[in-house]
Amino acid sequence: MRQQPVPGNGFAPLGLDDLREMARVNRLDVAAMFMAAGNGHFGSCYSCTEIVTALYFAVMRVDAASPDWPDRDRFVLGKGHAAPTLYSALIRRGFIPESWIPDFETRVGARLATHPSRRSQPGVDSSQGALGHGLSNACGMALAGRLDGRDYRVYAVLGDGELHEGSVWEAAAFAPKHRLDNLVAVVDRNGLCVDGRTDEVLPLEPLADRWRSFGWDVVETDGHDLATLVPILDVPRFDGSGRPRVVIARTVKGRGVSFMEDVRSWHADAISPAQYEALRVELREVLR
Amino acid sequence: MSLLDHPARLRDHVAAFRAAHPRKDVRSQFGESVGALLDRRPDAVAVTADLLHATGLAGLRDRHADRLINVGIAEQNLTGVAAGLAACGKLPVVCGYAAFLTLRAVEQAKVDCAYNEFKVILAGLASGLSYGVGGPTHQTFEDVAIMRAIPNTIVVAPSDPVELDHALQAAAEHPAATPVYLRLGRGPEHVLDRPGAPFAIGRAARLAEGRDVCIVAHGAMVLEALLAADLLRAEGIAAEVLNMHTVKPIDRGAILAAAAQVRAMVVVEEHSTVGGLGSAVLEVLEGGHAFPVVRIGIEDAYPPIGPTPELREALGLSGPRIAGRIRGLLTKAAG
Repeated sequence: MRQQPVPGNGFAPLGLDDLREMARVNRLDVAAMFMAAGNGHFGSCYSCTEIVTALYFAVMRVDAASPDWPDRDRFVLGKGHAAPTLYSALIRRGFIPESWIPDFETRVGARLATHPSRRSQPGVDSSQGALGHGLSNACGMALAGRLDGRDYRVYAVLGDGELHEGSVWEAAAFAPKHRLDNLVAVVDRNGLCVDGRTDEVLPLEPLADRWRSFGWDVVETDGHDLATLVPILDVPRFDGSGRPRVVIARTVKGRGVSFMEDVRSWHADAISPAQYEALRVELREVLR
Repeated sequence: MSLLDHPARLRDHVAAFRAAHPRKDVRSQFGESVGALLDRRPDAVAVTADLLHATGLAGLRDRHADRLINVGIAEQNLTGVAAGLAACGKLPVVCGYAAFLTLRAVEQAKVDCAYNEFKVILAGLASGLSYGVGGPTHQTFEDVAIMRAIPNTIVVAPSDPVELDHALQAAAEHPAATPVYLRLGRGPEHVLDRPGAPFAIGRAARLAEGRDVCIVAHGAMVLEALLAADLLRAEGIAAEVLNMHTVKPIDRGAILAAAAQVRAMVVVEEHSTVGGLGSAVLEVLEGGHAFPVVRIGIEDAYPPIGPTPELREALGLSGPRIAGRIRGLLTKAAG
C-alpha cells in the first residue's frame, strides 16, 4: 500500500486494524442516529461503510481545522441518503461534533438529517439527495482542479440504483473526454434499490463493460475489504493517464447486521428498541 | 382620426419608430460579452451544451480554448458541472437555451446551484417567442415562473443587447452566492435609447414619465411598451414605462411609487400570464390597489408557431396592440 501523509490535526492514515475498528464505530454512530429518529436508511448506509471509512481515514487529504482548504480532496455522496455514514466520518475526523448525533432528524433545524447539506454540515462539499447529480458535480470539481493546476482528487460515491438516472451517463461520457484522471467514482454495487433487485428493476449489466466502453479505468473489488479498497482508491495525483477511475465495489446492503443483510425492506425502515439492542450486540464484534 | 385608428399612418409611424432603434443580434452580442468577461475575469468559465455557434461563442475558441467547455447535448450535466466548478471557486457561465436550462435541468438549477449557494450564471437564450418558428418545444414561456419560485435565485430579463452586456457583467460582480438566470433572446433586437441611470440588478429603470398609466415590461417587450407610450401620447394619454429587467428581486419601490400616481397598471411580458412578471407585480400590490391591473402576455395555452414579429403582433404583444388595450381600458375606467 502506498502510504502518504494525510495532513490536518496531525492526522496520519490509519492502518488496517484501526480502519476496521473505525468502520465498526461508523456503523454504531449510524445506528445511534437512526435510533434517535426511529428509522433510517440502514441498508444503504451499511453497504458503503468501508468505502467511506477508507476514504476519510486512509486516502483523502482533508483538514478539519480548514474545511475550505482549496487543496483538499473533494467528496461527493451521490447516494445522498447514505448521509449518516458520511456524518460519522466527519464526526470522527473532527469536522462536526459528536453531540449532534442524538439530534439527528429530531427537530426543525437539526443539523443532521436524511441527506447531506452544504448549508448545515462543515466538510460537505456539495448538497446531495436528488439522485444523479453527484457525478456531474464531481466532474466540475475535477475540471476546476485541472484548470487551476491543483493536485487534489475528487471522489464520488454512487448507488447502483442511482445508475438508472440518465444524467449519470451524461457525466460518465464527459469525464474521459476531459481527461479527468483526478476523478474517482465508486459504485456501491449492493444489488438492491427500493423496489427490489436493481437489475430486475432495470438491468445494469454488463456494468464494468459499460463503464469501460465510456473510457473509464474500471476496477472491480470487494467493497467491504479495506485492505484492497485503500490502494484502489488511492490513485496517484497527476497520473497523466487521462482516464478517470471507477471502482465497482461489490457490497451487501445492510452489511454487518445479520437481520438486515441483503433484505430489501431495510433500504429504509423503522427500528425497534429490541432490534437496536440486537444490532449493538452484533456490532461489538469487529467485522472480519 | 387618431393614429391608432388609421392603419396606413400607423404602419408608417411604427416603421419609423423601429427604424430609429437599430438592431443588434443577441447571439453576437452574447459572444462578445462572454468574451469580455473571460478576458477580465480569470476565474470565469463558459460552459455550453453543443451551442457554441448558437450562442455566439464559437469565435472565442482561439482566445479561450481552455475556459470554453462543451459538454455536448446534455443539459443536466451542463448545470451539474457548472455547480462543481463553482464549488471550487470558478465563476461558471452556463450558455444554453432557456427552454432546456429551466425545464430539463431545473433540478440542477435548484439543488446544485441555488440550494448549494453557488454563484452560477445561467444564461438562457432563445427565450420567450424569440425562436417563434421553433414552436412550443423551443418557445419558452414558463421560465420566469419556474426560476423565480426557486429560493435563492436572481432573475433578469435584459431589455436589449446593450443591457444584456450590462446584466452579464453585473451578474458576475454581484456579491450574492446565488445563481443568476439571464433570460435572453435569440435574433436581432432593437437597441433602446439609453437614459443616464446605470444598470443595477434589482433596480427598475423609468424610461418614460406619465400619470395616466404605468406600463411595466421586461425583455424585448420594453421597446414595445415605449412604442405604445409613444402612440398613446397622441391620444392624450401619458404613460409611464418601467423597464423591470429584474423580476427577482423585484423593485417594489418603483411599483409602489407608480401605483400612488397612475389610474391603471399594465404589465407586458413575453411569458405566460401565469407566474411571470404580471404575477410578481400583483404580489407587490396585494395590499390593495384602487385601479385596474392588466396582464398582457401569453395566455395559458401553447402559442401558435410563426416568425417572431408576426407572432408578437398576433398575441397582442406589439406596441400598437398594447396601446389599443390601454386606450380601451382607460376609456372604460372613465366611463
